[in-house]
Amino acid sequence: MSPWAAAVGHELRSAGRERLPQLLLMIFIGMSAASAFIGSAAKATVTEVYNSAAGQGLTNAANPFGNVPPLYYARNTVIYILLIGALLAIVIGVQSAMRDRRARTIDLVLTRLLSPAGYLGAKMTGIGLGLLAVLGASALISVVCISAVTGSIPAPDQLLRLLALFGVAWLFLLFFVALGTLSGLHASSYTTALLVPIVIWSVIIFVLPLLGTAAHPVSLLNPVTPPAAPLTGIFALTGSLTGPLSLGEQFKHVAAILLKDPQATGTMTGGITVILAFLAAGISAVVLTGRTSMRKELHD
Amino acid sequence: MTSLITLCGKELRDLSRNRSVRLLILFLAVVVVLSVLVAAADFRTKTADYTSYLAALKASGGAVNAPPPDLFPLQMLRAGMEYLEIVGSLFAVILGYGLIAKEKNNGTLELLFTRPLARHSFAAGKILAALIIWTAVTAALFAVITAALLIAGNAPLTGTDFIRLIIAAGHTIIYLTLWSLAALALAALTRAPATGLVLALVLWLVVVLVIPQIGDTMDPDNQIPGGLFASLQIDKAHEHAVMANFTGYETSRDLIEQASLTKQYERPLFAWLGIKDQYNQQSPAFVWAGTFNHTLWLLAGFAAAAAAALLAGTRDKLLRKA
Repeated sequence: MSPWAAAVGHELRSAGRERLPQLLLMIFIGMSAASAFIGSAAKATVTEVYNSAAGQGLTNAANPFGNVPPLYYARNTVIYILLIGALLAIVIGVQSAMRDRRARTIDLVLTRLLSPAGYLGAKMTGIGLGLLAVLGASALISVVCISAVTGSIPAPDQLLRLLALFGVAWLFLLFFVALGTLSGLHASSYTTALLVPIVIWSVIIFVLPLLGTAAHPVSLLNPVTPPAAPLTGIFALTGSLTGPLSLGEQFKHVAAILLKDPQATGTMTGGITVILAFLAAGISAVVLTGRTSMRKELHD
Repeated sequence: MTSLITLCGKELRDLSRNRSVRLLILFLAVVVVLSVLVAAADFRTKTADYTSYLAALKASGGAVNAPPPDLFPLQMLRAGMEYLEIVGSLFAVILGYGLIAKEKNNGTLELLFTRPLARHSFAAGKILAALIIWTAVTAALFAVITAALLIAGNAPLTGTDFIRLIIAAGHTIIYLTLWSLAALALAALTRAPATGLVLALVLWLVVVLVIPQIGDTMDPDNQIPGGLFASLQIDKAHEHAVMANFTGYETSRDLIEQASLTKQYERPLFAWLGIKDQYNQQSPAFVWAGTFNHTLWLLAGFAAAAAAALLAGTRDKLLRKA
C-alpha cells in the first residue's frame, strides 16, 4: 500500500472513531430525517389555513401551496447543512489536524516518503470520502422520508436534483473542513483552533448577508428564499461587495434552484463558482502548509 | 468567603489580560454597532424611497394615502440583539470553558486544592467572575449601542427608552452568564476539557439554532416571502380570527420554541425593545404582564446552570477527572 493510500485509510478510520463528531453527525442525520416531516406539517397547516380563509371569503388568491413539488420537503435540510453540517465539518477538520499535533506523530509521519503536501492532501481526501459517505446516507434518508410523506418515490429527475443538492453540499462542507484543518494546523491551542473557524463561519453565515441586504440574522435560518438585495442606496454597493463572499447565501441560492423553489430566480453558475473558489482557496491553503507549521508545539 | 473573593479577583485579572477574550468582545461590539448602522441606513433608504414615491405621485396628480415609514429607534436594535443571542452566547460558551480549561491544562488545579478552600469556593469564585465579566461587557455593549443609536442612527431616545434598554441589558447578562456557566459545568465534568467544549457547542447548536429554527419554520406565516397572510391580502384582525382555528398546532409550535432558552431570552427582549409590534409603544406594565413568564424561565435556566457549575466544580469531581 502506498503511503498516500495508507494516510487516506488512516484518516478515515481515525475520523470514524471520534465520538464527538459522531454526536454532531447523529444530530445532522436526525434533523435531515425530521426535515421532511417538519415540511409536511407546515404544508398541511398552510393548506388548512388557506382553505379556512378561502371558505370565509377572506381571499381570492390561489393557494400558494396548491402544487408544491416533492422536493419542497427537502428545503429544511439546506438550513441544517448550513448550521449543523458546517459545524460538523469544522470540528472534523480541527480534530484531524489536532490529532497529529497532540500525539506528536507528525514528526514520525514526516520521516516517511510522503511530502507534507501529499500527507495533507491524503488527509483531506480521507475526510472528503468520509463526508461523502455521510452525505450519501443523508440523501438516502431524505429520499425515504420524502417518499413516506408524499406516498410515492420521487421521479428520476427529482432524485437527480436531490443528489445534485448533496453533491453541492459536499463541496460547500469541504471548504469548512479545510478551514478547520487549517486552523488546527496553525493554532497554538485547541481552543483557538476551534474558535477561529467558528467565528469565520458566524461571519459568513450571519454578518455578511446583513451588510449586503439588511436581512436579520435569525431570518437567514428560514428556508424561504430571502428578498433580493435592493438595487439602490448603500445596499447596492455593500451587496455587490459582500454578496460573493456570503458563501452561505450562495449555497442557499443554488439549493433553492436545485429544489425548484418557485421564488428562486437566476442561475446556479455564480453560486457554484463562488463555492468552488472558496473550496480551491481552502484546500490550497491546507496543502501548502509547511513542515515547520505542522510540527509547531501545541500549548494545551 | 475570602478565598471566594480572591479566586474571583484572580479570574477577573486573568480575563482582562486575555487577548482572545478582548478580541472576541471587540468583535461582538463591532458586529452589534454595524447592525445598528445597517438598520439606520435601511431606514434612510426606505425614507428616500418614500420621498421619491411621494414626489412621483404628486407630479402625476395622484392622491397621497401611504403613511411615511415610522422611526422607532429601539427597533433598530433587532439584528444587534440577534447577534447577542447567537454570537454572544457562542462567545459565552468559549469563555466559560476557558475558566476550567486553563486550570486543567496548566496543572494549577492540584495546587489550588492544596489550599484550605471551602467545598464550593472554587466554583463560586468562577461563577461570580463570569457574572461580573458579563455584567461589565453587557454594560459596555449597551453603552456603545446607545451611542450608535444617538449618533449614527440620529434617533431621539426618551427616558422610558433608556429604562427599556437597561431591562434588555439585564436579560442579556442573565442569558450570557447562563451559557458561560453551562460550558463551565460541562468542561468540569468531562475528562478532557476540550470534550466539554464540543459538548457545550453541541448544546449551543441545538438550543440556539436548531430548536428556534424548527419553531420558525413551522410558523405558517413564515412559509412565503413577505408572509402568508400578506400574500393572501388578509389583514391582522382576520389573520387572528383564522389562526384561532389552529390553536392546537400553534400551541405545539409554541412549546417547541419555548423548549429553547434562547426564545425565553428573545421574547421579553423583543417585547421590551418594541421589536414585536404587539408590544411597541406599550406601557411597561403591559410588557411585563405579557412576558414575565419568559423572564422567569430564563432565570430558572440561569439557576440550573449555576447549580450545575457549583456542583461540578468541586475538588472531588475536578481532580477525579483530571
